[in-house]
Amino acid sequence: MEVRVPTRPNPHLDIDAYDADADLMALNMGPQHPSTHGVMRIKLFLDGEVIVKAVPYPGYLHRGVEKLCEKLTFVQIIPIVDKHDYVAPMTNEQAIAVAFERTLGIEVPRRARYLRTILAELTRIGSHLLWLGTFTLDIGGTIGGGASVMMYTFREREKILDCFENLTGSRFHYNTHTVGGNRHEIPDGWVDQVKAITALMKIRVPEYEELCTGNEIFNLRTQGVGVVDADLALELGLCGPNLRGSGVDHDLRRDQPFHAYDEIEVNVAVAQGGDCHARYQVRIAELYESIRIIESIIDKIPDGPLSSQRPVKSHLGVKIKTGCHYHSIETPRGELGTYIIGGGDNKSASPYRLKIRPPSLHSMSALPYLLVGHTVSDVVAILGSLDPIMGEVDR
Amino acid sequence: MIEQLSNPWIWGVAYGLPLITVLMTIGAFATWWERRFSARMQNRHGPRWVGPQGLFQVIADGLKMMQKEDIVPREADRPLYRLAPVLPVFLVLATAAVIPFSGYWDEAGRWQAALVVADLDIGVLWVLALAGLMVFPIWMAGWASNNKYTLLAGMRAVAQGVSYEIPLVMVALVPVVATGTMSLSGIIAWQAENGWLVYRLPFIGALSFALFFLASLAEANRIPFDIPEAESELVGGVIVEYIGLQGGMFLMAEYLHTAVAAALATALFLGGSHFWMLPLPLYLGPVVFAIKAGSLFVLIYWIRWSWYRFRADQLMELCWVVFVPASLVLVMLTALQVWYEGLV
Amino acid sequence: MNEILAKLATEFPGVFDAENPDPSGALVPADQHVAVAAFLKENGFTKYVTVVGSHYPASGDEGVAEYEVGTVLRNPTRNSFAFMWRVRIPMDGEVPTLCPLFAGADWQEREQFDLVGVRFGGHPDLRRLMLPEDWEGHPLHKDYAIETAHPPWR
Repeated sequence: MEVRVPTRPNPHLDIDAYDADADLMALNMGPQHPSTHGVMRIKLFLDGEVIVKAVPYPGYLHRGVEKLCEKLTFVQIIPIVDKHDYVAPMTNEQAIAVAFERTLGIEVPRRARYLRTILAELTRIGSHLLWLGTFTLDIGGTIGGGASVMMYTFREREKILDCFENLTGSRFHYNTHTVGGNRHEIPDGWVDQVKAITALMKIRVPEYEELCTGNEIFNLRTQGVGVVDADLALELGLCGPNLRGSGVDHDLRRDQPFHAYDEIEVNVAVAQGGDCHARYQVRIAELYESIRIIESIIDKIPDGPLSSQRPVKSHLGVKIKTGCHYHSIETPRGELGTYIIGGGDNKSASPYRLKIRPPSLHSMSALPYLLVGHTVSDVVAILGSLDPIMGEVDR
Repeated sequence: MIEQLSNPWIWGVAYGLPLITVLMTIGAFATWWERRFSARMQNRHGPRWVGPQGLFQVIADGLKMMQKEDIVPREADRPLYRLAPVLPVFLVLATAAVIPFSGYWDEAGRWQAALVVADLDIGVLWVLALAGLMVFPIWMAGWASNNKYTLLAGMRAVAQGVSYEIPLVMVALVPVVATGTMSLSGIIAWQAENGWLVYRLPFIGALSFALFFLASLAEANRIPFDIPEAESELVGGVIVEYIGLQGGMFLMAEYLHTAVAAALATALFLGGSHFWMLPLPLYLGPVVFAIKAGSLFVLIYWIRWSWYRFRADQLMELCWVVFVPASLVLVMLTALQVWYEGLV
Repeated sequence: MNEILAKLATEFPGVFDAENPDPSGALVPADQHVAVAAFLKENGFTKYVTVVGSHYPASGDEGVAEYEVGTVLRNPTRNSFAFMWRVRIPMDGEVPTLCPLFAGADWQEREQFDLVGVRFGGHPDLRRLMLPEDWEGHPLHKDYAIETAHPPWR
């Protein structure tokens, strides 16, 4: 049994015992707040401005998806699962599709795998752009410098959404993945549109870096704030840029490849330090890496069928194998996994139990550890750097 | 009529009322200007439709604020709650009473200040005293709203305001020591005859001007020092519980404070309405003053829309570790400079 | 995968079968649950992935309603894979908590308690996570109807 590191704060501090005189102030960063990334409530116990204990209460966006999915078939599950991480919707669908395909042993044709990789990387760029905008918004002010950066990043994100609209018909929540491949074929001019996006991003991302790290105040607000050491990060189940910002070299795109990542070289960005600045640097580096990956494969999409299965005639077409299966992919937020338990025989089209393993829930569970000892102003910086999306946390 | 105008009471009303009107109009239309300016910085437009170039947006917003229901929270401290929005505007406008907006060269070759409501001999002291009082209404609003967020914001505002007054006062002493007078018209007259303080004192002038500018930003709770109204954390700071025109008064006071701070910086360091030896007629003096103060005003909002905000303890650290020693050193250097020039 | 299974088979004989591994994850008795997790943590599986509880209602006349709790851990290296195992307990039983080993188990186990009803023994703060504090029932039970009314929320 491992010995718990004694400097780790105790998230279950008994406030009544700790503060018998009731001098601490309980402040509710309530469900309605400009900076809590969705509806979330954090109850802070403050000693002056320093936080002694933080208790987050998720669940305001809980829609009972897991119970719902026990009655739905694969075709019906995909649009529902889309709504979890609503900032990076493509990867939600891909997680479910990959889980089903691996369970049933269905092979995805190369064309679909390359297309999925491009979509995943574009989603990663879009998600990190949105993250950068909201992060600087939190640090700088809704009326103030942060808003300027947000306007710029959203302008670029619009181009990515236009690209997706060209492919699938909708800007968000595409329903474009099926078991065995993709549904929407690449239209004419789409490749050029993607190339235009990457060319534009290569100019813009250095500008964003200049606006952020070039500003001394940004560095002051993010360095040394919200430090997660590697052991705590691994124990908590943090993943994605949160884990890599703490120095752990782990990326599912390289370590357990999915889509076309076994044919592409992925350079994983790792930063030491574990503070908000490190996580910010990891995400910026991932932006550059995504641009590079897209550019390297956009011209090499192989020809061929887009799906290895015939289109399903009835929504009961996809059956689930008996037993427990767990498969995951790397989304912009980390490891999004799907744990499926199939029914008694191999003929059931609805899962007996479907659990989504959301990366943001683990990020949020880090809050009681990270917030202790910081001030209220740091709460927004830390929350922003962890990048939780409440749709994913609550499902 | 001229004899009656030289009676300070009559002059105060006859000139003061139009000045107040002009300042309040500037404060109101500064919102329009800021919205267009920040919009262009952010790749969007800003108000364009309501009236010519969107100018009537100000009137529309004002009407909207006025017709809101006047709610006082049940547990709020009523007298303080009602009093708090009134004071900031009053204090800022009173500060503007000693600023000479124009001036002219008289027959003896001396600069005479004009268009000042009350040419006090202790003009700088008056300004700094009122700036010090500005902390009270913000704290009152924070306390009286009966809201933990506003309490936090009020406490932060008091800490910040009180701390940054010290470098402000110290650096405002630099023109006083250099020119030997506390009256603003005297300072401007000295600058008209000997050169603007910002370049007249070798690099002390520029440094003290920058420090005065930053300390005024901190007093006015502007980004990067706007922790008391930190939108992202405290959802609007002390004005969160204020509705309608009461809250509008706080916002108006903010714009006025920045405008008056810019005007003070021009008067103390940039020579007021002086435009070198060009003998400008009296009515062009305010134009020159407006250009100088206006560019500082633009700078303040440019900073607001590009930079982030300091955390509360970093703000305090900046004040006490950097600004206060720097301001003390600058005053001493100014004194040395004056003594040296007196010798030479 | 085979090496860790071989190690587990030597350490916990009778539970893990290295030749014919159960694809759904081996069934581990509840009292060895923490020991298995600790052993895996020492052998490189340091990343806590998730815990999943499911409700298996009583089948037939003599069947007992059970919970099945699956735990997934991952090794954050090259050639990473997720290792999972299952624990079955009767409905009034408890699964020992992994909180002392993995800090992330705290919220995951709370969520499974909230939605499925699995109790975790020794958990420092076992209360509801997603649903309001005064909600009655555990929604992911198989006999909990999806339209169950629960004023004022539905």
